[in-house]
Amino acid sequence: MASRWADPRRSRALVGGWLVAAFAISAATDLRVLGAAAAAALLVFRSGLARNLRRVARSVLPVTVGLSGVSWLFLIAVERRPPPLAPYVALVLRSAVIAFLGFAVLDRASLLRALAPWPTPTRLLVITLGQIHALRLLATDSLQGLRSRLVRKPGAADVLRGAGGITAAMLTLSTRNSRDVVDAMRSRGF
Amino acid sequence: MHIPDGFLSPQITLPAYAVSAPLWAWAARRHFGHAAVESLPVVGSLTAVAFVIQTIMIPVPGGTSTHLLGVTLLALLYHPLVAFLCESLVLLVQALFFGAGGITVLGVNALAMGLLGPLAGWLAWRALRRLHEGAAAFAAAYVAMQVSTLVVVAALALQHALSERYFPVPVAVVLPAMMLPSLTAAGLAEGAYTVLALSLLRKANLRGVAMG
Repeated sequence: MASRWADPRRSRALVGGWLVAAFAISAATDLRVLGAAAAAALLVFRSGLARNLRRVARSVLPVTVGLSGVSWLFLIAVERRPPPLAPYVALVLRSAVIAFLGFAVLDRASLLRALAPWPTPTRLLVITLGQIHALRLLATDSLQGLRSRLVRKPGAADVLRGAGGITAAMLTLSTRNSRDVVDAMRSRGF
Repeated sequence: MHIPDGFLSPQITLPAYAVSAPLWAWAARRHFGHAAVESLPVVGSLTAVAFVIQTIMIPVPGGTSTHLLGVTLLALLYHPLVAFLCESLVLLVQALFFGAGGITVLGVNALAMGLLGPLAGWLAWRALRRLHEGAAAFAAAYVAMQVSTLVVVAALALQHALSERYFPVPVAVVLPAMMLPSLTAAGLAEGAYTVLALSLLRKANLRGVAMG
C-alpha cells in the first residue's frame, strides 16, 4: 500500500485531493451527500478500514456524539418536543467522514515526499517531529520517575510540580538541540 | 478545547485562514529572522516543547483529567506572536498525526488558542506584574485559558447563528459544556503550572536561553 503511493507526485496528489475533499465535505449539510461521501471514502480506502474506523471512534465520535446527545436532550427539556434529528446525524457523519479521510490518506501518503518541492516546510516538519520525539522521551522518563518516587498515585499538585521541572529541562535541552541542528545544517551547506 | 473538523463551515474556516496566514508570515519574519537555517531549529524546538507540555495530563477531582497548554508560558517568555506560531504548528502536527482538532478548522483553533488567549494573558501579565509577579503569571494563564475558550464558544455560536441546520447545538449547551471545565479545572491547572514553571526558570536563570 505504501509503495503504491511512494511516488512523490502521487503523494502530493493524494494530500491535495484530501485537502479539497475535507473542505468540500465541511460545507455539506445534506444527509444524502454526506452518505455518498462516506460510502465513497469507505470504498476507496477499504484497505486498513477497521483500524481507521477504530481511530475515528476513539478520537472524534465521543465529542460529536456526546455534544449532540446533550444538546438533543436539552432541547427536548426546553421545548417539550424533540428537535429534528437530521442536523445532528449530519454533524456526526460530517466530522467522522473528514476524520476517516484524514487517517486513511495520511496512512498512505508520505507527507515528506509530498512536501519535497517545498524544502523549508519539509525541514521544519522533520526538525519538529525529531524534537518532539526527543522531548517526549524526556517527559515520559521524568513522569515515570515521579510515579516511582511516590507510594501513592500522583495528584494534581505532584504532576504540576513535575511539569514545571520538566519544562525547565525541556527548554534547556531544546536550546542545545536547536543550536546543534543549526550547526549541522550549516556544515551541510544549507 | 479544539474544535474538530466538521463543526465549522467554510464560511468561517476560510476567513480564519485568511486572517491567520499573514499573521503566521509576520510572526515568523519578526521573531525568527529571514535565514531559515537559524530560524527553523528554534521554531521546531519551541513547538516541540509546547507539544510535549500538552501531552501532560493533570488529574482533577471526579476521576477525570485535563491537559496543560503551555502556550501562555511561551507568550510570557518570548512574545504572543512566538506563541501563536508555535501553537499553530502544534495544532498542525496534532491534526496531521493524532486526529485532534482538524485541518479545516486549523485557522480558527490557531487564532483562539494560539493568538487571542495568549495575547489576553500577556496583556494581563503586563498590567499586573508590578503588583505581584506570581499572581500576575497565574492571572495571565487563567485569563488566557478563559479567552481561548470564549473565542471557541463564539465561533461555534456564530456557526449556529449562520445555520442551525449545519450546527444544531445551541449556545446554551456549548457555553456551559466548555466554560465550566475551563473555569473550574483547566484554568486553575494552567495558572499553577505557569507560576511553577516561571519560578523554576527564574531560579535556573533560563529566561531567553531558548532564543539563543
